[in-house]
Amino acid sequence: MASESRTAAPSPTGEGAAPRPEDTPPKSDARRRERRSRRYRLDVKWSPYAYIAPFFLFFAAFGLFPLLYTGWASLHRVELTAPTDMEWAGLHNYSRLLSDEFFWNALKNTFTIGIISTVPQLLMALGIAHLLNYRLRGSMFYRVAALTPYATSVAAATLVFALLFGRDYGMINWGLGLIGIDNIDWQTGDWTSQIAVSSIVIWRWTGYNALIYLAAMQSISHDLYESAALDGASRWRQFIHVTLPQLRPTILFTCVVSTIGAVQLFGEPLLFSGSGATGGANHQYQTLGLYLYEQGWVNLHLGRASAIAWAMFLILLLIGAVNWLIARRLRKSEGDS
Amino acid sequence: MTTLTDTEPKTPDLKTARGARRLVRGPRAGRQLHGGKWTYVALVLVTVMSLFPLVWTAIAASRSNSRLAETPPPLWFGGNLFKNLEFAWHEANMGTALLNTLVVAGTVSIGTVLFSTLAGFAFAKLRFRFKNLLLLLVIGTMMVPPQLSVVPLYMLIAELHWTDQLQAVILPTLVTAFGVFFMRQYLLQALPTELIEAARVDGASSIRIVWHIVFPAARPAMAVLGMLTFVQAWNDFFWPIIALTSSGNPTVQVALTGLAQGFDPDQSVIMAGALLGTLPLLIAFLVFGKQIVGGIMQGAVKG
Amino acid sequence: MRITVPNRRASSPRRRSRRLVAVAAVAALGAGLLAGCAEDSDDGGRAGSGSKDGKTTIKVGVFGVFGLKEAGLYDEYMKKNPDIVIEQTSIERNENYYPRLLTRLGAGSGLADIQAVEVNNIAEIVETQSDKLVDLSKTPGVDKNKYLDWKWQQGTTKDGKTVGLGTDIGPQGICYRKDLFKKAGLPTDRDKVSELWAGDWNKYLEAGKKYKKNAPKNTAFVDSAGGVMAAVTGSYEDRYYDKSGEIIYKSNPRVKEAWDLGVDFAEEGLTAKLQQFQKTWDQAYANGTFATVSCPAWMLGYIKGKAGEKGEDQWDVAQAPMPSNWGGSFITVPKAGKNTEEAAKLAAWLTAPEQQAKLFDKQGSFPSASAAYDLPQVADAKHPYFSDAPIGKIFAKAAEGAPVQILGPKDLIIAQNLGDVGMLQVDQKGTSSEEAWKAATKAIDNALDK
Repeated sequence: MASESRTAAPSPTGEGAAPRPEDTPPKSDARRRERRSRRYRLDVKWSPYAYIAPFFLFFAAFGLFPLLYTGWASLHRVELTAPTDMEWAGLHNYSRLLSDEFFWNALKNTFTIGIISTVPQLLMALGIAHLLNYRLRGSMFYRVAALTPYATSVAAATLVFALLFGRDYGMINWGLGLIGIDNIDWQTGDWTSQIAVSSIVIWRWTGYNALIYLAAMQSISHDLYESAALDGASRWRQFIHVTLPQLRPTILFTCVVSTIGAVQLFGEPLLFSGSGATGGANHQYQTLGLYLYEQGWVNLHLGRASAIAWAMFLILLLIGAVNWLIARRLRKSEGDS
Repeated sequence: MTTLTDTEPKTPDLKTARGARRLVRGPRAGRQLHGGKWTYVALVLVTVMSLFPLVWTAIAASRSNSRLAETPPPLWFGGNLFKNLEFAWHEANMGTALLNTLVVAGTVSIGTVLFSTLAGFAFAKLRFRFKNLLLLLVIGTMMVPPQLSVVPLYMLIAELHWTDQLQAVILPTLVTAFGVFFMRQYLLQALPTELIEAARVDGASSIRIVWHIVFPAARPAMAVLGMLTFVQAWNDFFWPIIALTSSGNPTVQVALTGLAQGFDPDQSVIMAGALLGTLPLLIAFLVFGKQIVGGIMQGAVKG
Repeated sequence: MRITVPNRRASSPRRRSRRLVAVAAVAALGAGLLAGCAEDSDDGGRAGSGSKDGKTTIKVGVFGVFGLKEAGLYDEYMKKNPDIVIEQTSIERNENYYPRLLTRLGAGSGLADIQAVEVNNIAEIVETQSDKLVDLSKTPGVDKNKYLDWKWQQGTTKDGKTVGLGTDIGPQGICYRKDLFKKAGLPTDRDKVSELWAGDWNKYLEAGKKYKKNAPKNTAFVDSAGGVMAAVTGSYEDRYYDKSGEIIYKSNPRVKEAWDLGVDFAEEGLTAKLQQFQKTWDQAYANGTFATVSCPAWMLGYIKGKAGEKGEDQWDVAQAPMPSNWGGSFITVPKAGKNTEEAAKLAAWLTAPEQQAKLFDKQGSFPSASAAYDLPQVADAKHPYFSDAPIGKIFAKAAEGAPVQILGPKDLIIAQNLGDVGMLQVDQKGTSSEEAWKAATKAIDNALDK
């Protein structure tokens, strides 16, 4: 930052500041102009680096270094009991992932929980956005109300939901009991536990996504609806043929963000179980993030945990690449029409 | 902020006369049909679903542990709220935790907004070598799962003797790739390149350009980013529970996790702790709800 | 999410060299910034530990409610040594505490002057970290003969360095509810109850079957199958490792016996299908939905807290079928601590028989210093909440009969997976014994494989 302010301090103001008294002779004026233009060139060339420097400095220290270190560790046999004591293992930590059924189980769980949490969440968000897009009395109240779960932390939300989903005394089982459904063991069942974990994610994020959809809906030009109405399209058909196509980039955006969140899902399954990182007796809701945590912090295998971390990273990069391809496709098809 | 105006119909006749409204509000708002009875029913349902877990947190916090283990579960407030809050406050070190979280979330928000705006501006409007490569690096960073860095990061802060100190959670989160990308996307559209070029022609240094042109233009997005970052930092949990301890120098989430995982505290006390940790943000949402909603929506369009 | 790609600019060599300068400058700036932060924090660190107003601060790092502070031992020590200040940091769960301790030992920083270690981890600590810990055997005030020999050995390396001093041990009894026993037609007097299953864990199962015949509605005989398994495992010398350090749990008949008994309890429907130390377990205490639980001495306070007023005068403690041990801890002094000498003195004082007796009196943690057993605070101890049961005598008997257990570095992981993965499936999901065993061993194999 210091270098930046040095170049900036003596520079003349944009609004044509009053000339300084000692600068009156024409000869020095020319020299000054030259100096100024040199300074100007320096400024243009170097200031961008100064602007991005803070980000990359912090990123290098707290992002890149750990990333590379983890990559290096993933090629070694290394234990938390002696983190500096590394034994070269090549790609062993990766190749074993292929036959590690706990890894595949975690991947499968991450995928199913991702689906169960993302699909209903975005559909509901779309529906809520549609409702909010009507002209309403007190619409701001509904918007703020829908957003409040977003203000709740993973920890607080999960603790409440774990209580609501309690087997013996939980509110949800009590409610189901009223309509004649026996107590469900939300912790133990394969699907029930995944639904319970997903419901926390859905609760926290639906309102937020609804607002994003709502914003996109409100920026759709009215003419499109007008001409659709002239063609005799019903409201539903208008929604399908005007609203949805116009929302496509936004939907893609929310899909990507939700997918990234789903792949990294960690806090909910960790706290939902109350203890340990197994994600239930049968590992039924152990996600990749949780499995990584278990390998690194419970089983103390840093090398294996690092390999899982990098596998997650690669999965996310893959998702990013797919997203980029779809986005390019979309842009092209938009360009064609 | 056009989206906000439709909440407050200015005159009664506008509420009923659709044509008149269209004239007043222009083509954009004209699409907005009146919500029917079922729209309200559905929205009330959504509201109840959104608020119920929070209300129930308060109900549970106001009961005793044994009452929570009865059927039917309590549906209304009991008399133990203050006892439980007090217990949670002391047990979980909540006073320190709230203050710490305020410091952390505040610093992180300011840092993120400042650094992201600068970097976002450079990526959006300035020319320099390796720009695309670096931008790609920024975007790639968004994909890094936070779990990935925990172990080396932990060793790093242990090396620096930062365990149990706030900078251990502030510095690693002080910049986010999302923030840079977000500001870049916003400034790409919101900041006319001609404006910068004109200023350059006038001989303005780049620091003046940033101060007098970029910051004013970026202000709405900075507010949104600051708000998003604040909420995120307030609720951050994965890294803080590793870097800090609940008895040492906790943030709210660390204190809450500690409380929840402790052997001693009752369920009702844990709920009281959850309430304490959530309340500040909830109050902020109640007071600034309109601005926050508007901010998120505005950010969404541009980002 | 659209990324526009502007034209690249050609670069000349001159530009490149300037860029290098810039990068170097920026790097220097960043290093300075980081260094500044580090300096700041160092000051902060020094204020927290080390000398304060000429006083020496000793930090103690523990997990859970360790009891030392709660029993007033720090206050007493500080009163006796006015220039010592003791500060404690506590992490609630050992499963969070232990990895942190390991990384801090590895990094050689961020450590308290005294660090607690749970018995399930002590073997690994002794085996892998002993070079980073102070040998406490020669600290003045430490006398090997005052401790239970096996406890002393557990904290000692093969070459004779004692890096962990024992605090408490976990001799077990069976806590039971008199009201439920009465309704089910079982005896309620603690001696008669002890006789009911004396000498054989299978008799405990038989008592459960009897209980079930007349069981009060919505109650079970025990809390969990996992609890039964853990208690049985704790009554044998060899568990998961043999003396040479080999992992033998898969073929060890003792482990098999414990497993089978747990399965029997589950399959006979004698359990409340709970998981220990979960909130549902707490709720079950509050509602009195199970009649017995095998309880180490340190668990009595927990039960009292959770069962609350409703359970007052209902609970009592009987002898376990066989003497058994569950849990217990050690304290260590890391070499990287700031005041190792003072810390060692404090550690010696804290684990001396007199202090252990006080700890038992106040917190229920049973002494590992056998010399404490004859002190009146232990020998005459009664627990009012548990119908004035003579817990000093009950647990001393269990402690003296408890086997000298062979520990191994991965005890915790094996025990956890057998319980929380294997037995829990049998108990809560009705998985067959074979399948659950397979699932547990698979998880353990995976966890042990580096």
